[in-house]
Amino acid sequence: MKIRDITIRAGRSLKQAKARTLLTSFAIGVGAFTITLSLAAGVGGRAYTDQIVSANTNVNELSVTKAQPTKQKGPQKYSSSTSNISNPLFSAEPLTESDIAVIQKVDNVVSVSPNYNPQIKYITRAGQDKYVASISTFSKSVTLKYAAGSTSGDLSDNQIILTEQYVTALGFADNQDVIGKTVEIVADKLSAPILNPETKTFTYMVVAVSSKSGLAFRAQSSLLVSNSSAKNLYDYINFGTRGYGKFIVAAVQVNGEDKAQSVKDELKAKGYDAQTAADVLGVINTFINVLQGILLGFGALAILTSVFGIINTQYISVLERTQQIGLMKALGMSRRDVGRLFKLEAAWIGFLGGAIGSGLAVISGTIANPLISKALDLGDISLIVFTPINLIIVVIGLIVVSIMSGILPARKAAKLDPIEALRTE
Amino acid sequence: MIEVKNISKTYGKKDNVFKALTDISFSIPDGASVAILGKSGSGKSTLMHAMSGLDRPETGEIIIDGKNILTLKQKEVDKFRSSKMSFIFQSFFVQANESCYDNVSLPLEIANLSARTRRKKIEAALEAVELIDKMKSRARELSGGQKQRLAVARAIVNSPKILFADEPTGNLDSVTGEVVENLLFDYNKKNGVTLIIVTHDADLAKRCDIQINIKDGNIESIKRNK
Ligand SMILES: Nc1ncnc2c1ncn2[C@@H]1O[C@H](COP(=O)(O)OP(=O)(O)OP(=O)(O)O)[C@@H](O)[C@H]1O
Ligand SMILES: [Mg+2]
Repeated sequence: MKIRDITIRAGRSLKQAKARTLLTSFAIGVGAFTITLSLAAGVGGRAYTDQIVSANTNVNELSVTKAQPTKQKGPQKYSSSTSNISNPLFSAEPLTESDIAVIQKVDNVVSVSPNYNPQIKYITRAGQDKYVASISTFSKSVTLKYAAGSTSGDLSDNQIILTEQYVTALGFADNQDVIGKTVEIVADKLSAPILNPETKTFTYMVVAVSSKSGLAFRAQSSLLVSNSSAKNLYDYINFGTRGYGKFIVAAVQVNGEDKAQSVKDELKAKGYDAQTAADVLGVINTFINVLQGILLGFGALAILTSVFGIINTQYISVLERTQQIGLMKALGMSRRDVGRLFKLEAAWIGFLGGAIGSGLAVISGTIANPLISKALDLGDISLIVFTPINLIIVVIGLIVVSIMSGILPARKAAKLDPIEALRTE
Repeated sequence: MIEVKNISKTYGKKDNVFKALTDISFSIPDGASVAILGKSGSGKSTLMHAMSGLDRPETGEIIIDGKNILTLKQKEVDKFRSSKMSFIFQSFFVQANESCYDNVSLPLEIANLSARTRRKKIEAALEAVELIDKMKSRARELSGGQKQRLAVARAIVNSPKILFADEPTGNLDSVTGEVVENLLFDYNKKNGVTLIIVTHDADLAKRCDIQINIKDGNIESIKRNK
């Protein structure tokens, strides 16, 4: 008997038992739904982190920290040489000026810029209120979306990039109005005696306004100045304090992407930890993969349950149709073809379940995507991305699982004695 | 030519053995119509099942066209049945949910015929039993007589050499029963098909060339009409 004819007959007998077929298919559909969604979320998530990382990091850039003492139980013992930055539980040994000098000398290192995070007091402008703000270092390699203005390569030392929120707060008419205007940043010298505080006003010209972007996490709410401006601010604020000249992390520019690994290895030998953009991506992706794995596990569990559903339905189907099976065998249908008929019925159930489940997943994913993007403020980025290949794999995978579930009932049908079968009335 | 040689069939084991057929032998020429007669439980169906290779008796030979079908492999027996034999049963066994067309199509599908070659044969068979106008109807919508006519169409569609009918008129009233009988005998005469009818209707048996009377698993008598 031709496979095509068997397939048609298998489909027809399923149509006869509509309710039962649909219910069994739904059970598989639940699994298909979960798996399709988790695959899509994995694809979307990885693509998203990939974009984030490439938008916020530079392939020529390493982020370097001092190698931390491994496995430290309890708080660290104090000694006059240890100088922890702030947190006593998370004691990170900082990089110092001498470390920076060491790193600078490593082959293929172009520049080392410690991560200055100047803690300014406020930002303001003549006749306006004062606002809290955080300052970060501008980096060419970071992709920014500009609501107004732009930068030609690097920032010069008196320039600043504002974020949209500060435009109206500081009393400007609109984004365009800010460009070329000046703002004032006021900072405290931390080492000044409490009774005799020292403050200084730094003036910057606004060259651009950055708008919110789903990708830019580093520059989301920080105002950006050039590296040397940040150092200026930092020096003024922190000079004379215990933490001065100590940095948790430094950005190291290397001479080409292919050099990143060798620099990383050399830094490691010298007692530093270095992370490339790929490392950062790897860490985030591992996290996504674990989450995806958990979701896939739930899907697999749902499918495992539905396997018993298929076996059960198919056994009932064989029992109900003993007479039909007997007739087919009497007419000379081979055992193999009888077995195939029931396996193909199971395949139909799997196909239906897979199609229903992944179809619903695509529909709900498509509906949910803009909602998720809106809730997480991602702009036009989709976190759930369906790829045709994944959908095909899910459906085919379920067909295969269903056929395997159908093997036992199919065997029962194939073994049926036609005389016995035709006696049942 | 069908030769039945020393067929014995027992059911049950040890303490509970039951001899359904004891040492049955006879032969049937090609194109003959044969009635297997006997009381209920005498072993008629058992004999028919053995002759068609559905059942395997412990001893004896069934030789059809020079081949002992009892020594063939299951696959070959299946093929033999699909290409040379067909069946009509007392309780029709048509598939109620399927259309008449699909019911008749089944033996052709089993015989591996393409959809195109099937069409003509199915239509011819439905024409022969006057059910062509019901081609698309579901079998459950048919009356008992129509169902058995559909079963006849299914039995003749693949031009078999041997047609087995196990009490084909048993579930029908005498008028519709006669319609089905006429169909079978017409087909037997026109096409030279060997027709083997299991029955306990003496009138039906009289229309056959050969009457084989079975009693308690033994041949009581064989009558050849001429
Ligand atoms: N599977 C079986 N197990 C045990 N005994 C069986 C089995 N099949 C048939 N028999 C017995 O064999 C005998 C012959 O049965 P068979 O079906 O051939 O009778 P029959 O002549 O066709 O009767 P009927 O006219 O009622 O159909 C019966 O006594 C029956 O009980
Ligand atoms: Mg019988």
